[in-house]
Formats: sequence, C-alpha cells, structure tokens
Amino acid sequence: MKLLSELARRLRMLFARDKFHRDLDEEMRLHLELRERELREAGLSPEAAHTAARKNFGNALALREASHDSWGWVWLEHFAQDLRFALRMLRKSPGFTAVAVLTLALGIGANTAIFSLVDCLVVRPLPIDHPAQMAFLISSWNGSGSNTAFSYPDFQEIRKQTANIFSDLSAFRMFQMDGLTVDGRSEPMWSSYVTGNFFGQMGIKPMLGRFILPSEGSAPGADPVLVLSYSYWKSRFNADPNIIGQRASINGHPITIVGVAPAGFHGPTSLMDMQGYMPLGMAVTLNDAPPNLFTTREDTNLALIARLRPDVSLQKAQPALNVVAQRLSQQHHGRMTLSALHLGPAGLAVNPTNPGALSLVSTIFLILPASVLVLACMNLANLFLVRAATRQREMAMRAALGATRSRLIRQLLTESLLLAALGCAAGIILGVAASSTFSSIPLHTSLPIILDFHFDWRVFAYALVAAVLTGVLVGIVPALRAARSDVNEILHEGGRTSTSGRQRLRSALVMAQVGGALMLLIVAGLFVRSLEKMQHTDLGFDPNHVLNLSIDPHESGYGETQAREFQKTLLDRARSLPGIESASLAASVPMGYNDSGASLEIDGYQPPKGQKNPAAGYNAVSSEYFETMRIPLLRGRDIRDSDNQNSQHVAIINQAMADRYWRGGDPMGRHFSTVDDPKHPMEVIGIAKNSYENDIFEQNEPFFFVPLAQNYNSYATLQVRTAAAPEAMAREVTGLIHSLEPAMPVFDVQTMTTALDTLNGFLLYKFAAALAASLGILGLILAVVGVYGVISYAAAQRTHEIGIRLALGAQPMQILKMIFRQGFVIVGAGVLAGILGAAAMARLVGNLLFGVPPGDLLTYVSTTALLAVVALLACYIPARRAMRVDPMVALRYE
Amino acid sequence: MVRDEIPPGTLHLLILKTLARRGELHGYEIARTIQQNSEDVLQVEEGSLYPALQRMLVKGWLNAHWGATPENRRARYYRLTAAGRKQLEIELSQFRRVVGAITRVIQTA
Repeated sequence: MKLLSELARRLRMLFARDKFHRDLDEEMRLHLELRERELREAGLSPEAAHTAARKNFGNALALREASHDSWGWVWLEHFAQDLRFALRMLRKSPGFTAVAVLTLALGIGANTAIFSLVDCLVVRPLPIDHPAQMAFLISSWNGSGSNTAFSYPDFQEIRKQTANIFSDLSAFRMFQMDGLTVDGRSEPMWSSYVTGNFFGQMGIKPMLGRFILPSEGSAPGADPVLVLSYSYWKSRFNADPNIIGQRASINGHPITIVGVAPAGFHGPTSLMDMQGYMPLGMAVTLNDAPPNLFTTREDTNLALIARLRPDVSLQKAQPALNVVAQRLSQQHHGRMTLSALHLGPAGLAVNPTNPGALSLVSTIFLILPASVLVLACMNLANLFLVRAATRQREMAMRAALGATRSRLIRQLLTESLLLAALGCAAGIILGVAASSTFSSIPLHTSLPIILDFHFDWRVFAYALVAAVLTGVLVGIVPALRAARSDVNEILHEGGRTSTSGRQRLRSALVMAQVGGALMLLIVAGLFVRSLEKMQHTDLGFDPNHVLNLSIDPHESGYGETQAREFQKTLLDRARSLPGIESASLAASVPMGYNDSGASLEIDGYQPPKGQKNPAAGYNAVSSEYFETMRIPLLRGRDIRDSDNQNSQHVAIINQAMADRYWRGGDPMGRHFSTVDDPKHPMEVIGIAKNSYENDIFEQNEPFFFVPLAQNYNSYATLQVRTAAAPEAMAREVTGLIHSLEPAMPVFDVQTMTTALDTLNGFLLYKFAAALAASLGILGLILAVVGVYGVISYAAAQRTHEIGIRLALGAQPMQILKMIFRQGFVIVGAGVLAGILGAAAMARLVGNLLFGVPPGDLLTYVSTTALLAVVALLACYIPARRAMRVDPMVALRYE
Repeated sequence: MVRDEIPPGTLHLLILKTLARRGELHGYEIARTIQQNSEDVLQVEEGSLYPALQRMLVKGWLNAHWGATPENRRARYYRLTAAGRKQLEIELSQFRRVVGAITRVIQTA
C-alpha cells in the first residue's frame, strides 16, 4: 500500500514538472532572502551579506537537479532526451537513415514472413479448449510401420481401458469427399465422420445450432445430421443464418443440417479444413464405410483422438498404454504397440515415425532468413562504426562536459534501437505483404488445404525480439568504442585519429557479408537449377493439350450400375465433340492425390529371401488413356471397351515392372493377381514405357494399368486431349457433363500442365526456388551496399593522402588502381570464404536437390561471377571518385 | 564561526524531530531551528536540505502546503505525517542504538 501511494505521488510529480520547478525556485529565493537578512542583522554590509548568502547557498543548479532527482524520474527524462536527440540525428542524415531502415525492414520482414509459416505449421495451438492436453494414438503391428488408423471395436476397447489416463477418447474417420445437394445444386464437400463425443471433447461451442450429440452415431444409418464448418458455411451458403434445419441430401441420402462450427475450427488439424461433420453411423449409409463398420476388426480407418487428464502427461500415460497394447496383442494374436503423440497444429498430418521432422525442417527454414538478417546487421554495424568514427569529436566533447560513460553508451544505443524500431515497423508491413502472397499460392487441388499465415501475437513478438536484438547488437560495439575513447587525444588530434583497427574490423565484416551473400546465392542457384531440371525431365507422358475434369457420380446418388452407364455415355459423347482428339477416364492422375498400390502374387515369381512381397502402384483407366496421355505402348495392345466385367481381367504393366518381376522372361500373356483380390488374376496384355505416375520423386517404380470397367471406381478424372488450347474447351466439356446430369459436381478442372504443380509435383520446388532466390538477391544487395560503404569511407579517409600523391606527380590511374585494389582484396577474400562455406552447406541441402549435384560447377561459377562483377563495380565507383579529386581540395581536407 | 557538518544519515532525523517539536515550518526556518537548537554547532547546508526535504516528501513522511510567512511572503510549509512520526521513532531508536554502541567502544576503561 505504501508503495502504491508513493508511486502515485511520483506520478503526480511527473505530470506537474514545471510547477514543481517554479515552486522550488520560489522556495529557494525566499530562503536566500531570509539568509541575507540574517547576515545583515549580524552586521555585514548589504553587498557582503548578499554574496555570503549566495556562497552559502551553494550551487543552485546542482541543488535544483538534486531535488528533482529525488523523485526518481531521471531515467525517463534521460530516455526522452536521448530519443529526441536520436530523432534529430537521424533526420540530419536522411540517406543513412533510409538505407539503415530499408536494410532492417528487409531482414525483419523476411524473418517474420517465414516465422508466420512456421507458426502456422508447428507453433500455433489448435483453437480448442486446453489444446496442450490433446493427443492422438499411434499403433504398430508386429514391428511393421506405425499408423494412425484403428478399427471401431479396438477403439471401444481402448476407450474403456484408458479411462484413468484419458478424460475422453473419440474416433474420427479420415475425410471422404461427398456431394452435398441443397436446393437442387450439388457441390463436393469434404466430410468427416465422428463419434458422438467428439465435439464435447473439443470443448468448443457451436456458432449456430448444435453439434453432434454423444447419443448419436453409434448405429449404421442412425441420426442423419450434418454440422458445417464455418468457412464452408460462409463460402457456399453465404453465411445464411437460416441454414439450421435445412433439409439436404448427401450422395442422394436425405440429411438435415443442424449446426455450424465456430470460426477458426478446422477439425483435428489446422492444415485441412473439414467442411462437414456427420455421426459415424452415417458413413455406412453413404457407402463410405462397410456395413459392419462397428463390429469388424478388419476395417481400420478411424483416427483416435484423446484428451489427457489434467494431471497426466504423455510420459505418464505411456505405461498405461503399454498395458492396453499387451491386452490387445493377446486378443489379436499378434504384437501390438501403442503410443500417443501431442496433437499440434499439423495434427494428424505429422509423420508418426518421425514426429520431429516437421519441427526440424521448420528450424532449417528459419535459419535461412535469420542469416539474411545477420548479414543486414553486419551492414548496419559497419554503417554505425563509420558514423561513430565521424562523431568522435562530439563524443569527446560530451565526455569533457561531464557525461558519464554509461550515459554516452545509453545515448548511442537509443539511436540504434530507434532505427531498429523503425525497421521493425517497416519490416512487419513487408512481412504481412509476403505472408499474404504465400497464402494465395494456388495448390491446384480440391483438397481443402488451408495455409493460414495470418499474423498473430507470436509473430509480432518474434519481430519485436528480432528488432531489439538487432538494435542492441548493431549499436553496442560502436557505443562501447565511442565511450572508451581518450578525450584528450581526440580533441587535440583534430579528428584524424588512427583508424587502422577499425578499418580492419569493417573490412572483416564486409568480407563476411560477401561470403554469406555468395553462400545464399549458391544455394538459391542450386534450387533454381533443380527446379529447371525437374520441369524438363521426361515425364513419360505429354501433359500439354490435356484437360482434366474430375467427377464422382456417387455424389449425385448414383449406384454402381448407373455410374458405369454414366461413365460410358460420357466417354462416347466427349469423343464426338469437335476439337477433342481423344478422351479417357482414369482413377488417378499423375502428381495427383489419389494413388493406389497393391501387394501382388505373380505367377512364377518368388521373392528372394528377406525381401518383401512384390508390390506395385496401379491406375484404373478406360480405353484411349495411353493415347490421351501419349504414353508409348512398347508391346501389346491398349485397353479395349470389350475388356469389361465379364471378360478375362487384363493389365498393362510398365517397363520397370516387366524388368523387375519377369527378368529375362517374357511377361506377355503371363498372369498375376493382387493379394486383396486373388479370385481375378490378370493377364498381361501390354507393356508401356515408364512414366511418372505418382510423384516426382519416384524413379522407375513398377506400375500397372487395369481397365476401369474391371476395377470400378466411382470417382474418376475425365481427361481430354484437345487440338486447341485446353482451357478453351473447359466450358464445353463441363456443359456436356451437366447436360447428362445437371446436379453433378465437377471439380479440379485444370489443364494437365497446371495439375503438375501440386505438392507431389513441382509446387514445393517452385516455392523453395522462389524463396531461396529472393533471399539470395536480398543477400546480394546487402553485400554490395556494404562493400560500397566501406570502400567509399576508406577512400574518403585517404583523401588527404591522395592529395599529396597527386601533388607529387602520381597519375590518376594509379590512384584508381590503389583504391580499387583495396576493394579487390576484400571482395576476393569474401568470395573465397563464400565458396568454401557453400561447399560445406551444400552437403546439408544435397538431399533436397533434384538432378543437380551439390557441387554443380555451373551454379558456383555463374553466381560467383555475378557477385564478383557487381561487387567490383561497387568498388569502382568510389575509386573513380577518388581519382578525380582536385589536389588542392584534398590537401586542405581535414 | 566554523560550524561542524551534520553527520551523514542524521539529517532526516534532525528534520523529523524539529518538525515534531515545532509543528509546521518552512525550509529556512527548519535550517535555522536546527542551528539554534544545536547551539550553533550544526550547520545545515542548503544543498542537502532541499533534496532531503524532497526525498521525504516522496516517501510520504512529510506533507507540504503553500502558506504565508509573518511578513506575508509565500513560503512552503512542511509538517509531519503519521508515517513520518513512525519513521521518527524508528530513526531515533536506531540512532540511540548506534550512539550507545560507539560510546561503549570509546569508553575504554
């Protein structure tokens, strides 16, 4: 209480400072008069009394200051003074200020933008109640890989047995795409099926209506209710408040919309936006799950999400989970392990075998822009050192007038912190701009991946910390140096003190900058070349002039027979359209997100001991697929319309599969079958050239094609090869589809070339290359500015010397060479350091490159040449200026 | 007349006691009272008096208000607060303790 009233008094004083001074002055005046009168009464003459009184009084100014200081606001007033002065100094040298602020803005902007990325993927917690308590379960069977999928009976068992460590356990069926028809219009919706306790476990409140109740969803077909996500409700239904109670149908089955989830809630992960939630039982009705979903152990498609009890940590929970795993192992006659991982923003998307990988990659990602910021700091430090050198006399004067060392240091630090603050503000603006650019990168998929890079408090805090650190780091060395200088020496020397030590430090800094910039450029060059190589690889097919349109008749309520009919009719009609050269259907497209693989049993092939069973990826396609995609058939024939349900099952294998499993022999006419469907062995009717079917990283993997008619898949992509530009045909083909079925959702309409820019394809590389290139260019600019600054200053320092040389008969060219040589040494040393550093770093990023060795000569040579040329140009300009100096001016220059 | 300096740390004590005895005084009066009551031994430096008064105002041991001297001049009058009275007791006992100790040390038999 005492402290509070004291603080209140102090604050009152702060705001009434002028009055305080006036009062004190008046008090002291009175005191002086009374003292004078006393002395006069004691017998002194009026003048003597006057002087004596004043003498006794002492130093009025010191008194006033001492009184003032008792109130404890000294530090604030000093800070205000420093700030005002710093502002004035910055305004006096606008060029310096502009360069410094810009440099900082670029550095801090890059860092905050990338941190917002990391924040979104790794740091930001889920917008639910007590997100730190959430975990998801991982199991592994008989030592083979971990997965996050469980069956319903297992879920019930685990839930019962973990009541003491989990306050609740819910199950979540991985998303399926369904068609939601409202008022006759059908559109795709990514839906998830949840157990009744899911929303209760999340601890959130619905925006509208209600959530799925704990009593719902435990039987197939029961409770046809739907909860929409906030974003889907906004985008598709325009935030219609009357949506509650609206009757709709999903895949032809009636359903009622009962609620809308709160904004910002995207399901158990932040990366994918679940658009609709339904009770688990509905999965059976909508054919997204087998009829015995609730009883069979075979269907493992549920993700289990747990909320730990408040006093239980992941480590504490593990022993209990081990016990449960043991019991289940006995029941299942196998060896099962169970563990739990924290449910972060990346949530279920985290690789369970390597959960730390995402954090690791994010850290590496943060190091890149951090190094750019370090470069920027070096630049600034150099600039500050130069400025400090020119202000030596000023500092010496201040010290002579009584400023303490700490005061001088504080003042210089204030200047650098002010610059840092300005740079931070500008940097945040740049960062926000960069972030929104990231957010708007098209992912070319209908997968509801959200990249929400908006800035939250964490990003701002990061920017602030970066700015403060920068300000302190940059300002501390010049400040310490300035405060340490010998006052006498400086004031007498007239400003031309020896600066060889400082010059060395500055040169060293610039060398490091050049080296760092070169490293960044080389890494950027490697990524750009990787991208280039990637885009020019022979994909095995021709993506040009192909248009993709995806449909799923299932979503309009079609059964299998109807869907097959639809697919057949669609193909016939599409092929007859003018401008269409060929048309085909395929279950998956290259670089897409749907791919299938199977374990195989091959006639006459036994896997060598210790190796796994034969396996291959496959695609179900219609006739004309190879023609549309221009994949050469090396042997045999294409799939025909006569290959249907009733005829012999056939397959076309690729060269890699032929080489691997029929080595030496002839695969034509031979048979193989999948482990899942041994009743329908397939006959090899053709061999196709290898092509990239799944993702860009596979190299010559075994792959085969089966007829769509024999491997029914309701979801398929119609691919048409067009004579003219594929985009031009989009309207017409969509129109054709709608003429056959008006309520059929058509999605992922894009050219095949665009479809290659997915996460499985080029997208990541395009992004990485763009990012690395921008950072590299940033580094280059910073380094060049640094070189220019240092050489300029060095030349200016030597103006006097140059004047003498010229007066004594030196040729201007010699002067030029002299200055230029200084720069050459710095740049040369920097380049050397950069190449060595890059060689070391390239080994780290080697795994991320494509088709380019880490020591790629072309990259190294071209980037070095670029940097060297620009840097040497930066040396040339001040050298030329030095050469043009008028000797008379130079000699008088101080 | 050469007067002795006030021992460091005792200025607060002297000011508090003076005000306790005399109620309400302005700065000059405080200085003169101390001088007089010490029979001219102690001389209060104005350079230390006013900062000390300010410090005691901050700590809340004194209250100040503007009034008029007998000659109708504006002067700032100081008086003790309750907290000041408490502080006086604390400082008095402390002082007595210290002086007693010093006396014991000096009084070699």
